[in-house]
Amino acid sequence: MGTVSNNKENNNMNSGREGIRGWLNPTRYGWERVSYWLQRLTGLFLLVYFVGHVYETSSLTNGVDAWNSMLELTQTIGGHIFLILVIGTSTFHTVNGIRLIFTESGKGLGKPGRPDYPYNPSSLNYTQKSGIWIALLLACIAMLYGGMVLFGEGG
Amino acid sequence: MASLRLRESQITKIHYLTGILSLFAVAIHILFRLIMPFGQSLSYENVVANYHNIFYVILLESILVLISIHGFNGLRIILIELKQSPKWESTITILVLISMIGVIAYGTRTIVIASGL
Repeated sequence: MGTVSNNKENNNMNSGREGIRGWLNPTRYGWERVSYWLQRLTGLFLLVYFVGHVYETSSLTNGVDAWNSMLELTQTIGGHIFLILVIGTSTFHTVNGIRLIFTESGKGLGKPGRPDYPYNPSSLNYTQKSGIWIALLLACIAMLYGGMVLFGEGG
Repeated sequence: MASLRLRESQITKIHYLTGILSLFAVAIHILFRLIMPFGQSLSYENVVANYHNIFYVILLESILVLISIHGFNGLRIILIELKQSPKWESTITILVLISMIGVIAYGTRTIVIASGL
């Protein structure tokens, strides 16, 4: 049985298809891969939140009691923490998305050069790495601000 | 019929455009929650009053359409990256389009009823 699954794994590796396991494996790659991975995970999370938000808001059509009982679910510590996560993921997804739009249009990639040892690709440069770090930093600041609003006097 | 098919490069441009436009639309949507204490802004009366403002209704419908297109196209891109075959790609595209239209229709229903249009 183990041999069969190993063979299947080898076939998948040879064909270049590793499925979700390959997609989720950031260990063999640098920060660019972590950014690729986070962009997709935050995107999926935000899509789930968006669909949930559209459903949650529909309680408005059932009157004030339905709205208030739906709101009670979100006005808890867990609900606030979830909302802070939404703020952080949406900030990262937005800032990193803007970086990707610039990258795809050729901005910040550097000039192509002769591949010399240690063969660092010019496209994975300081500008790109800074963009990823700025996205993470802004996400943290937005989460902090969101936490202050939600857990502060107004929340 | 073949001329209606969008090239992947055109879909990518739509993906970027919907992403950038929804950034501005969502920023205004959040500002509406922050111009007064957050808890107060979510009171039933205040939210219904928001829905009776025609500009806010247009903004909400724009957010609904923009994020639905952007989000479900993103999901399609992820699923197509995982596996490639013509049958898989067309199945995913159809399922994603149905989900997208379903979410837009459901959200539009809420907007129409709540705004009393």
